[in-house]
Amino acid sequence: MHTQTSKKSPLLTVNNVSWRVGNTLILKHINVNIEHGKFIGLIGPNGAGKSSLLRCLYRFNQPSAGDVKFNNTDIWQLKSADYAKQVAVVLQETPSQFNLSLFDVVALGLTPHKTLFSSTTHADRQKIVQAISRVGLEFHSNQSFDSLSGGEKQRALIARAIVQQPQLLIMDEPTSHLDVKYQIQLMELAKSLGITVFASFHDLNLAAAMCDELVVIKNGEIVSAGKPNKVLTEQILNDVFGVCVQVSNHPQTTSSGESIPHITYYYGYQ
Amino acid sequence: MAVIPNHSVALISALLCAVLSLFVALSFGAAPTSLVDVYQSLTFSNEASFTSRIIFELRMPRTLLAFLAGSGLAIAGLILQTVTRNPLADPYLFGISSGASLGVVILMIFIGVGAGIALSVAALIGSLVAMGLLILIAGSQRNAQVESMLLAGVALSFLFSAFTSLLLYWSDPQAVAAILFWTLGSFARAQWQSLLLPALVIITCTVIMLGFRRQLNAMLLGDESATTLGVRVHRFRILMLILSSLITAVLVAMCGGIGFVGLMVPHIVRFFISQGSSVGLLMTALVGGIFMVWVDVLARSLLANQELPIGVITAAMGSIFFLSILYFRKRQLVGK
Repeated sequence: MHTQTSKKSPLLTVNNVSWRVGNTLILKHINVNIEHGKFIGLIGPNGAGKSSLLRCLYRFNQPSAGDVKFNNTDIWQLKSADYAKQVAVVLQETPSQFNLSLFDVVALGLTPHKTLFSSTTHADRQKIVQAISRVGLEFHSNQSFDSLSGGEKQRALIARAIVQQPQLLIMDEPTSHLDVKYQIQLMELAKSLGITVFASFHDLNLAAAMCDELVVIKNGEIVSAGKPNKVLTEQILNDVFGVCVQVSNHPQTTSSGESIPHITYYYGYQ
Repeated sequence: MAVIPNHSVALISALLCAVLSLFVALSFGAAPTSLVDVYQSLTFSNEASFTSRIIFELRMPRTLLAFLAGSGLAIAGLILQTVTRNPLADPYLFGISSGASLGVVILMIFIGVGAGIALSVAALIGSLVAMGLLILIAGSQRNAQVESMLLAGVALSFLFSAFTSLLLYWSDPQAVAAILFWTLGSFARAQWQSLLLPALVIITCTVIMLGFRRQLNAMLLGDESATTLGVRVHRFRILMLILSSLITAVLVAMCGGIGFVGLMVPHIVRFFISQGSSVGLLMTALVGGIFMVWVDVLARSLLANQELPIGVITAAMGSIFFLSILYFRKRQLVGK
């Protein structure tokens, strides 16, 4: 996304990445640059390869070809704990049947920063408590993680990411099961952290309102990338998502005064 | 479920309870002894007396072995449940005890040895072979590692049991009785010098697990989340499998099959305390140990002049306790 030339090299570069399972090519020659401080959205229909691409970025999938570089270093050359100090990930709801408290889950953000037998210090505890109150869950600290609502769980995972102190936050559809209020709340919370964010979105209007730039992926290929008002055109949405839409301007504008596209869907395809 | 606010209070009371249990348990047995005798024996103030020798040379190693076995099995169970994220995982699910049984049966039938240290060695070899096979299978599967681990464990368990049954079918009834006695579990073989290996293995493995407690908790959130927290999931799971199998193998070799503790104790502790902290891990070990010490007391004193098999008591008591906790917990949840 070289919409403007920046002197600083990108935080994360995805270089001609392909990823295959057996004989099926899931990702095809993907190129993405993620600049420092940007909030970048990844959109595309189900099965387009959004999660597969993100997994290549947080080292769960190793690309079949191409490379992913973080600050100009191949991420597979880094130690796994060192990479986890730089990149935090919030996934879709992670169910667990075990009795971990909210505090324990948030404390896991320390994992990459701690050596084997080091204890959780008073300063660590404060960091955890602060992160929990930052996401507004200070009254649930001792509650079991399982007993939290979907929105609270996702906020807890953001708190965990805060404790991890990353440069980059990756989120894979973190709002997919949430009510609209919590969708907005969660994304604005992520935005308020002031770090670089790369997140996949289900809701295109939310993506349009939140993101500095969007990357559109379909069938494992990048179709379009750029500012929301350049990317979210009626033509592209029709081609990629197969729906008829009307794109208008949202009554609000971005902080820099640019228009936010608003999508209205047409119905009646049967 | 509310978590006990002050973990260290819980831990200290559990520790006190453990020490007290060990002490009091020494006064139970076939020969009538009092707590004063126990105290005298421990302080060597009446060394020559017969009761002192009973307590120090017979009961103490036995009680300590019971404590070690209980805590070791509980920790092994907790670790396996954590890394497989399967609440039904248990050290015996993975074929380790069936491997040990097969080792013992082979020794009894082909070499004709039915007692002594050779039995433990054969059991240890059998369980190590089972563990090796399991790790080979789990290590070769990068995808769906948990599933292949569980399925391979169950399959191996059945395979070894089949061989054991076949050999027993061909052998004389005396061997069948001996192997049955062995599989039901007993601490009767405990001696001071035979405590060293299990103590060493259990303490070392527990310390390593305490070191990896954050990684263990991360595994609970799923392989993917654990990866993003810097855990090398596949290697880590194999390491934990090796540690818990080692504990199980050593204990099975020493005390035979003692089922249900590894499955149950972690759940009981989880009802009351978040297992996330090192306190949770230590509590699991302590509760397992205390439980086993009292089971051994029951085994020694329930019937006069006769010792009950440990495995029978753990299974019977454990299931009842477990069911009642489930029942009361359900009522509590409905009550809310």
